[in-house]
Amino acid sequence: MNIKITYSWLLEYLETDADPYELQKYLSLCGPSIETVEKVDGDYVFDIEITSNRIDMASVYGIAQEAAAILPQFGKKAKLIKHNFIKPQAPTKDLSINITDSYHLTNRVLAVVLDNVIIGKSPEYIQKRLKLAGIRTLNNVVDVTNYIMLELGHPTHIFDYDRIAKQKLIFRESKKGEKIISLEDKTYTLYGGDSIIEDGDGRIIDLPGIIGTSNSIVVDSTKRLLFFIDNNDPVQMRKTSMNLGIRTVAATYNEKSPDPERAFDSLLLGIELLQKNSGAKVASSVIDIYPQKKLEKHVRVYLKDIQRIIGVSIEETPIISILEKLGFGVNRSENDELAYPDGVSFDILVPSFRYNDVSIKEDIIEEVSRVYGYHNLPSKMAPLVYIKQPKDIENLFKVQTKSKYYLKHIGLHEYLNYSMISGDLIDKLRLVRKDYLRIKNSISSEIEYMRNSLIPSLIKNIKENSGKKDKLEIFELAKTYTRKDDQLPDEKYYLGFATNSNFADLKGVIDSLFDELNITDYDYENNNHSILNNSAKIKIHAHEIGVIGSLKQELKIAIDVPNDIFVAELDFETIANQYKVMGSYKKISPYAVIKLDSTIMSPLSFSQIKTIAKLSSSYLQNIELLDQYEGNITIRLHFTSYTENLTENTAKNELASIITSINNKKSFEKQSCHI
Amino acid sequence: MKDLKTTREKFQVKLTSIVSLPQLELLKLEYLSRNGIVNELLKDMKSLSIDERKIYGQQINKLKDEIAKQLDSTQKKLISSLNQSKYDVTLPGNMRKNGSLHVVSYAIEEISKIFEKIGFIRMSYPEVEWDWYSFEALNMPSNHPARDDFETFYIDHPENKEFGKMLLTPHTSSGQPREMMRLGKPPIRMINIAKTYRPNWDVSHTPMFHQFEGFCVDKKINITHLKGTINYFVKEFFGENREIRLRPFHFQFTEPSFEIDITCDICDGTGYIFKDELQTKNAKSRSFAEKIKCKLCKQGWLELGGSGMVHPNILKFSGINPDEYTGWAFGFGVERVMMMKTGVGLNDIRLLYEGDIRVLEQF
Repeated sequence: MNIKITYSWLLEYLETDADPYELQKYLSLCGPSIETVEKVDGDYVFDIEITSNRIDMASVYGIAQEAAAILPQFGKKAKLIKHNFIKPQAPTKDLSINITDSYHLTNRVLAVVLDNVIIGKSPEYIQKRLKLAGIRTLNNVVDVTNYIMLELGHPTHIFDYDRIAKQKLIFRESKKGEKIISLEDKTYTLYGGDSIIEDGDGRIIDLPGIIGTSNSIVVDSTKRLLFFIDNNDPVQMRKTSMNLGIRTVAATYNEKSPDPERAFDSLLLGIELLQKNSGAKVASSVIDIYPQKKLEKHVRVYLKDIQRIIGVSIEETPIISILEKLGFGVNRSENDELAYPDGVSFDILVPSFRYNDVSIKEDIIEEVSRVYGYHNLPSKMAPLVYIKQPKDIENLFKVQTKSKYYLKHIGLHEYLNYSMISGDLIDKLRLVRKDYLRIKNSISSEIEYMRNSLIPSLIKNIKENSGKKDKLEIFELAKTYTRKDDQLPDEKYYLGFATNSNFADLKGVIDSLFDELNITDYDYENNNHSILNNSAKIKIHAHEIGVIGSLKQELKIAIDVPNDIFVAELDFETIANQYKVMGSYKKISPYAVIKLDSTIMSPLSFSQIKTIAKLSSSYLQNIELLDQYEGNITIRLHFTSYTENLTENTAKNELASIITSINNKKSFEKQSCHI
Repeated sequence: MKDLKTTREKFQVKLTSIVSLPQLELLKLEYLSRNGIVNELLKDMKSLSIDERKIYGQQINKLKDEIAKQLDSTQKKLISSLNQSKYDVTLPGNMRKNGSLHVVSYAIEEISKIFEKIGFIRMSYPEVEWDWYSFEALNMPSNHPARDDFETFYIDHPENKEFGKMLLTPHTSSGQPREMMRLGKPPIRMINIAKTYRPNWDVSHTPMFHQFEGFCVDKKINITHLKGTINYFVKEFFGENREIRLRPFHFQFTEPSFEIDITCDICDGTGYIFKDELQTKNAKSRSFAEKIKCKLCKQGWLELGGSGMVHPNILKFSGINPDEYTGWAFGFGVERVMMMKTGVGLNDIRLLYEGDIRVLEQF
């Protein structure tokens, strides 16, 4: 969260010679981050980021305290000005007020009644400071609550005393379905379990710590006030505030545990301001319900630990000085039996406003090191040590990089899609939603199901880019998530492809990639697939590692895509394991290679033809596909011998016997075969 | 006997049609090689008388010299004219068509290499994680705001008794307990670069993005090591002239915690740029009136990411004794550092995942 305070306001608590820009620079380096400094209307506005563990800094006082500790490190004068707030004199009247918290929903409640109130405008300086802080000014009563919150860091509230039925305030938990109308005139239905205040008539008159209700707040005709400070359970504050979506500034303070000790000074300041600005007079004794004051908190830190973790031999004097300026009590002791500095330790008394944030020695070390200044620390490298990377992971990343660059260099484009897809896409492809892991609280139906395949995303990519580019050839290398009952899903890397050109192009890409990775023992075997036509299993060493095919026609229509889409998906982890740095050497034949062409018409597949040809001729070295057209294929056969020069005649005879064998096999059992 | 005159004339005719050096070579072979025309003529002299052979021989040799000379001069002419033939070098070459890789792939590769050099191993961990690894083991107890529905994606799956709810990890820090358990005890030098997920979608946030996490645990690790390693990374990745600063911050899983800032490259860390767009190297000497505030950064600094010394609870929860070992950790956004590095005006992170080929193919 951020707060805005002004330089002139800060100077009421801080005596210093630092200018606003110096304040920004030095504080940001060692403490609260002052994001911007703006000169406005003769004053300077600081926009400060407050981390969730340091709500004690979310006030003029808190910043002043930080500045008093930090600025001297940079040679600037800085002293915290302590204000002694006047305790209220005995009240002339004693208007009754009855506050109960039988369920112990709060840590502390402070309250006092004031009468004689005249509602009007706040003094100029208060209006100006609130405006610069980005807070709306309303009147001289409501403004006080906001002013105190910014000055001392604890939210406060003011009721119209006469609108509290029977002068009773009862803290209790809400029931599910109870309604309130906020001071912004919005109606909210409570979830149940929220901390609320009801009056003597059973009406809900406040959502403590979050927002007031329209039935009890101050109005123009208000004459008597109940000035009220409650310190609440931060977890409950956050829960109620987030559930209802009521994110007032007070709520953002209260969910971070402001210090109940500081609430008392806030009460005194509030009384002072209300008296001064609205003519109010104290009309009751001060109520203070504070059942469990926190016990003193101590942390012991050894000097050697401070030096060890920071990495610099900081001396005792600066350490003690820094901690004391930040509000810590320091009690030094030394074990004489140990050599200096090993025996030196500090018993640190943690101030109440740091209770939630400081518990262990590392917290103290942080306080010392940040004010000492990280810019004062040298930069060192940790000693190099050999850590063995698991071989399969090392190989996986290596082959990933190689494959990606290779695919890039042969013209493909890499995609990185979201790991989630929409239920709509699953339905359109006639896949089953139950097969996927679902996100319970997704922010969009576009990203609801975890992918168990890359293919649907790639199909979507092709669809969305049709018209942007003629030929689309894309790939994605990413994890898929296969659901398993009662366990985390299987996360495995897959390599997916999609193109709108043709089957041969896609197959060529895969074959080329295998070639690049020196994978040679692979083949394609027809199979059936739920969403693909002409689909084939891709196998390495006869194990299935992938699939290729073209999207079924009816699914093309469902997705609304004009051209055919060809897709493939490979188990990348298996491929990575098959990768070899180099292929093996094949002896070069010194004898000539005779090439003969032939056009064949046969019902057999190319792979079957190759097998028969190989079986029929021992001189056959290679078969190239030159052309294919309507069932005819034109092939070029390479004949050679490793022992002698073949004659053209021999080659022709070999070709003839191959053709005969092919023509004799009109049909073939379904077999996978390869060369 | 062949008529030498005819031979000579035939040769001249053939010579005029020579346009290339290989052709010339063939012509030379045809006439002057061992089985060439000239030697054939010499062989034919067998049938002549000694006197006739003497005269004829001289004439053949003369012809041979002429042919050789003419071949030589033709070669010289050819060489000269071929050397001078003009080609318009500005015509486009026949480029091979490159594809493209995703910006994040380049970033991951580079980040990986930088840390590899100093002995960090890259690891891979679950993205779909148990609550325990993403939160409890990282010192975020059950009512911590980061576990709210609006900060983390939860999976529709029954809770595990030991490890809690199933979720998409919002940070790579879940790799810390995983690595500690994998190794059992220090030394640990790990970098985890992976997808992370948060329910945000706007110009600087996507529901899925990438983070990289550095994690170092050993004896005697201290803040100077954290500063040194991040300094090393920044100089390697962004350049030697970039500086870092550490600012106090708060994370549940580190103590002390820091935010890391890096000097802005647009304004050279000065916070100001000049209207006439000249380099800002002499920023301090230019007159104040010409300077305008740099829009990108805050007083010359850009936020890089978070880091800190590993909170002792983190070590304890994963079975490592915090009195013996200390460590540091940092986590930065991959897309963020890449967009900061290139400075190509990629200022909308959603472009990286919208899948428009016209954006992606540029890389």
